[in-house]
Amino acid sequence: MTVAAGVGYVLIALGPALSLFASVIAKKPFLILTLLSSTLFWLISLIILAGAWRAFLPVKSTELWPYSILILTSVGFQEGIRIGFWRLFKKMEDMLNAFADRVSKPRLFLTDKMLLALAGGLGHGLAHAVFFCLSLLTPAFGPATFYVDKCPSIPFFLISAIIALGFVIIHTFSMVIAFNGYTEGKRKDQIFVPFAHLIAALITLINLVPGGCNIGLPLLCIMAGTTLYYSWQLVWRRLTEHQTTRSSD
Amino acid sequence: MPPPDDPPSTTTTTRTSIIDSLGVEIVGVMSPVSICMLLVVLILTSLSSPSTTSSTSPPPVTAATLIYVESDSDSPSHKLLGAVLDAAAFVALIAAATFLLVLLYYYNFTSFLKNYLRFSVFFVLFSMGGSIMASLLQHFSIPLDAPTSFILLFNFAILGVLSVFSPAVPILLRQSYMVSVAVIVAVWFARLPEWTTWVLLIALALYDLAAVLCPHGPLRILVELASSRDEELPALVYEARPTDSSHPVSPPASTPVASLGSVEMQPVSEASNSNSSSVDEEERSPLVSSPPVVRENLSNFNHEQVRESNNSNHAVVEMETGESETLALVEREGFRSSSNSDSEFEMFDSTRGIRLGLGDFVFYSVLVGRAAMYDLMTVYACYLAIISGLGCTLILLSVFRHALPALPISITLGVIFYFLTRLLMEPFVVGASTNLVMF
Repeated sequence: MTVAAGVGYVLIALGPALSLFASVIAKKPFLILTLLSSTLFWLISLIILAGAWRAFLPVKSTELWPYSILILTSVGFQEGIRIGFWRLFKKMEDMLNAFADRVSKPRLFLTDKMLLALAGGLGHGLAHAVFFCLSLLTPAFGPATFYVDKCPSIPFFLISAIIALGFVIIHTFSMVIAFNGYTEGKRKDQIFVPFAHLIAALITLINLVPGGCNIGLPLLCIMAGTTLYYSWQLVWRRLTEHQTTRSSD
Repeated sequence: MPPPDDPPSTTTTTRTSIIDSLGVEIVGVMSPVSICMLLVVLILTSLSSPSTTSSTSPPPVTAATLIYVESDSDSPSHKLLGAVLDAAAFVALIAAATFLLVLLYYYNFTSFLKNYLRFSVFFVLFSMGGSIMASLLQHFSIPLDAPTSFILLFNFAILGVLSVFSPAVPILLRQSYMVSVAVIVAVWFARLPEWTTWVLLIALALYDLAAVLCPHGPLRILVELASSRDEELPALVYEARPTDSSHPVSPPASTPVASLGSVEMQPVSEASNSNSSSVDEEERSPLVSSPPVVRENLSNFNHEQVRESNNSNHAVVEMETGESETLALVEREGFRSSSNSDSEFEMFDSTRGIRLGLGDFVFYSVLVGRAAMYDLMTVYACYLAIISGLGCTLILLSVFRHALPALPISITLGVIFYFLTRLLMEPFVVGASTNLVMF
């Protein structure tokens, strides 16, 4: 439905991501590089998944069980990749600290590490939004709109934009939670992230049921809000602890 | 209770972190490449409405289609063979032109080369840019009359010619014109038939690898000649000199070149007076000592109407590190001499940044433009592949410290990702997301 609608859908899906980028990440070139490499990482994991699933595609029926297996394997794989990503992040942190010692600058602060985690998560979220939502939005710039059979009340582009928005938030902040959890070794955080990702992905399965998207969309937004809240609490706690330990030195 | 989100850079100056300034140069090269690709994709997608992509419009007669012109009715093997022949002819033409360039440069015809380049820039901006402008005006029905557009185009082209080799022009203007030239040439190149484009890209990547790394490769000879004479190459290169006025926020720690060699390589030799803690101490950037040069793609444009051949659009990436801009990096905290002899730094006082030749811009954009003709998903995948290839090349540059070809890694990754995305990822992702199942 014209360029205005197309741009509108893009902004719905990517609005928070763009503002995060412009306000936080664009200022430090290193974070831009982190974002690009984490996007590449996610893309490669998606290609591997697609390669593994290629023989079984296209899924002819729209029953639940093929898609649920797809989702379970995909989410499991991506969460496994996240641990690998964290290991790489640790190595990079060590290299950066060694470099900081060489040029006699302070080592990485806690906020730096969290910013790096944020950039990594935003990279994942951006990749998700682009591949699952933006690449299908090209017809939206034209003169018409499209409705999926299972969901006749909301245009397809709007649903996918809102889902992409939810997942951007989930990916971005679950990376922050996950990195903090792995660093501190707290089980609760470590379990929360795969759990949240899995639940969010399973919620989208509700969309397969006719009329299900009316329930699925709000639930997904609630899930995204939960992740955001959890990460906020975690970061607040961590930073206040850090401040008190620093000021007590 | 202090607010949790207290960014370090807004507190005292001693809280500037190293990640504030790291990677400035890499981003400084990646942004114009990204902008160029974005513009090419926008122009191609807006100009290629369904009515014009039918096979009624004949492909342009170029040096790249001398032997075989692809048509839809041929079998795949025939197309492949024709494309390979076309690519071989094109690469041979480019090699011949590069050798001619080396010869001319060897015999000190430098001013002739520079004037020829100025003329070719004018031709590109005026004639090829003019045809793009005409189709854009037509497509969007912009009410601009012919004499006005002629005058505007002429001014645009003349300013471009003036900015190419003159050091007095502001760097931002020169960078913008380089990007415009690359965009125009890439849009033009992207009109080649599909199979020919892919085979041509791969052939050029291989040629580039050979021309820069082989001992008698033309580009290597050229670069060595230029560095032995200690003068600039008469070529169209994009210079990623940081525009300091645009970094008011970042602390003086933003040494442009320091970022590059920081993590990956050991700095080479020691600079003097390491124990001084004076405020005016210039920071050493941990980079290479000998000045390799980053040049890529000497773009010579054959101005014959019928046959366009982009000679020497090869990525020759060398890093010019004889001098880099030094900004006072850590001068406020003094400079502490490091204990072991390994971590000693080199002093720079140059005014040059990383240079990337225009041919790289052009062929990256051609690849992305060709991906754009298929789908947006492939565009993004190819964009990521090219950017990561460019990053790898820059890292290798700081390790090897001499001219490196920038095309091979990026083009290889780009082609691989294009075909992987098109064949593997697309059925998967489109199948899932059209059923609103996402993860």
